[in-house]
Amino acid sequence: MKRLWIAIALLGAIFAGTLLHVHSLHGFTDTLGSLLEQAQAQAEAEDWTQAHALTVQAQEAWAERDVYLHVLLRHGDTDAIYAGFRETLALLDSREYGEYAASNARLLTQIELLYEAEQLTLKNIF
Amino acid sequence: MVIAFLRTILLYTFIIIGIRLMGKRQVGELEPSELVLALLIADLAAVPMQDFGIPLLTGLIPILTLLCLTMALSVLTMKSVRFRAVLCGRPSVIVENGRLRQAEMRKNRFTLDELMEELRMKGITDLSAVKYAILETNGQISVLLYAAQQPVTAGQMDLAPPEPGLPVVLINDGRVIQRSLRSRGLNEAWLEKQLERHHIKSTREVFLLTVDEENTVYLAKKEAGA
Repeated sequence: MKRLWIAIALLGAIFAGTLLHVHSLHGFTDTLGSLLEQAQAQAEAEDWTQAHALTVQAQEAWAERDVYLHVLLRHGDTDAIYAGFRETLALLDSREYGEYAASNARLLTQIELLYEAEQLTLKNIF
Repeated sequence: MVIAFLRTILLYTFIIIGIRLMGKRQVGELEPSELVLALLIADLAAVPMQDFGIPLLTGLIPILTLLCLTMALSVLTMKSVRFRAVLCGRPSVIVENGRLRQAEMRKNRFTLDELMEELRMKGITDLSAVKYAILETNGQISVLLYAAQQPVTAGQMDLAPPEPGLPVVLINDGRVIQRSLRSRGLNEAWLEKQLERHHIKSTREVFLLTVDEENTVYLAKKEAGA
């Protein structure tokens, strides 16, 4: 009977761990999304310096959890987001609002999709 | 990751049900849960091993989940007869008193050819000699012959043949297995004597030496050049 309880405890621990990961990812992607949206609002108001600072802040937040994200998410997804940050920052430097806005929107979508792919929904399970 | 965890549980359950519905013949010598584990675990390990773009955890979490599920199911099958019957099925009597139970054969998708093949493999060619043939939950056939068809035993003939017991290996490819020697209450001097009796000077010349519980020795010399 001890083996049964060990198995059930392990299954419970895995389930709890995966739920914690989803919860943590939700908070993290929300923070990044909020920073990037604020950056876009600043860029729209022609405050390019502030927009750049907010995007760099988002990129640093991403880099801080790079190992965690690399261990738990598909490497193709994490690499695409890293490349997205680089592209968005380059377009901010060029101060081309139209291209920057398109690149920022693409980056926001990629970040949102990270959480959506891990979200506990019937659509994802099946 | 939570999706991988829940998908693993769903697929494991789904494949177990599938294996159960396929019948006992597909199971081989494993229980359905063990067979499914064997089928899935190799693939799960191979994918992150080959594709570096997938985190290792993508393979590890489903494998750990499967191992936990299998452990839980194996304990439940030991504890509950009813659960075991649901998971592994029940043995089916397909021959009773020399008569084929055709409904039972159809239920288990067990063909006449398969039955005859199994009987031939057990040295039985006459179906009327079979008292019972039982299709076990692991897909094997157990056959019980009529008493009149069974070989006579020494006990039935009031004979008391010697009981040599299990032979133990004392020399394996020139090496003396000291633990086996001590467990039989023997020593180096006894071994030397046995070698002398076979005109052998060193244990290195012996390929195999066994002794049974009546101290009967079997010795095979090493071939030249071996």
